Amino acid sequence: MLKAFSASLLLAAVAAAAQAGKAQTVNGLQMTVAGVKLMEKAGLRDCPPGTNTVNAVQRPGDQLSVVTVAFKVLPDFKPRPPGTMKRAVATAADGTAYNTSVQFVDVGSVPEYSCDFVYRVPSGTVLKTLQIEDAKFDLSAADK
Amino acid sequence: MEIDRRAFIASLGGPAAVALMDHEAKAEALEHYMEDKLDEMVAAQQPEKFPTVAEIEAQIETRPFRRGTGGVFTGQRGQNVKKLEPMPDKATLQDFFRLRFAPANHVLQSATRALKTGMSEEIVLACLLHDCVLSLIKPDHGWWGAQLFEPYIPEKSAFAIRYHQTLRFYPDQEAGYEYPDQYYRIFGHDYTPPKYIEDTYKMLKNHKWYMEPRLVTVNDLYAFDPNAKVSIEPFEDIIGRHFKQPKEGLGYDNSSSAHMWRTLARPDNPL
Repeated sequence: MLKAFSASLLLAAVAAAAQAGKAQTVNGLQMTVAGVKLMEKAGLRDCPPGTNTVNAVQRPGDQLSVVTVAFKVLPDFKPRPPGTMKRAVATAADGTAYNTSVQFVDVGSVPEYSCDFVYRVPSGTVLKTLQIEDAKFDLSAADK
Repeated sequence: MEIDRRAFIASLGGPAAVALMDHEAKAEALEHYMEDKLDEMVAAQQPEKFPTVAEIEAQIETRPFRRGTGGVFTGQRGQNVKKLEPMPDKATLQDFFRLRFAPANHVLQSATRALKTGMSEEIVLACLLHDCVLSLIKPDHGWWGAQLFEPYIPEKSAFAIRYHQTLRFYPDQEAGYEYPDQYYRIFGHDYTPPKYIEDTYKMLKNHKWYMEPRLVTVNDLYAFDPNAKVSIEPFEDIIGRHFKQPKEGLGYDNSSSAHMWRTLARPDNPL
């Protein structure tokens, strides 16, 4: 009973924090969802982005949903070993989780930047949440 | 429209050339420059039309060489080939990088990303070597590349090099691999891989080392940045630990791929 109560309290806390447009900070990295858009072609660039020239292209039956997140490296940011920051995961309204191919590479190398996380999802899919490490964002308000 | 003053002056041949132009010529040059830029901007906004397999095939007889010819055998952008610097005695992998695989930006970027995303040394090495054989030959470069390096590198790295060629045609969202637009451009948007590639893919899907070539494709995708600054130095230790440099030099150790290294070393030999 107590366990269930604690779990529901935790879920409520996560839900309260999970709002697009509201900054969340993990390990000294401040993140704010700037928007979600559908694109026919999306650049495949890591985070922070370079100038890679390869793109993902929309195919019949699917769509490219691109979630833009602004990052700010705060003074208490501590670099972690390479490869330990997991890729951002987006979840649709039906609970299906989608992975992006965009990786975090040298996240502390630039003080402020913006990254586009590309998700190939079935046509008509609306992304509901975005999770980056312990930060969870509600995308409903940001979806355009 | 914003004009990049430096780029505009450079397009005219630099400040010295601009100084020799009268006002009318400068105004005309600026107008032409703006027209060109506007055309570029409009073109960039149009959805790209990818060729079909048939359209790509129709280009075959428009070239004096075949698309599969290795880089050391053709000139850059239709120009004549240049004389190559001879390889030193007892040539090392680094010598080949400098004199035959250069500029090797793509493989260096690919390996840099593998290093920065914490991948194993076998994968970093595979990324570093995965497309080097394109200097020698292009079709089936996964198999050729694995064969070239196999006597000198860990089995997992050779496996990754051999099979990245197959996996690049098959997206894997979980692993972070998208089908890239450049393949629509170079193979045609209606291209389907041949049966031997499909069969290889089926074999790989259930293979315990599936992720080795998959990780090469994952890094491959993100290694086409014209502005990335890369060098071979960060990989010296990994090469030292995993690449069995023959004391006789690559090409002269009687290995199963020694002849391939000799061909790379002396591509102007007539026979």
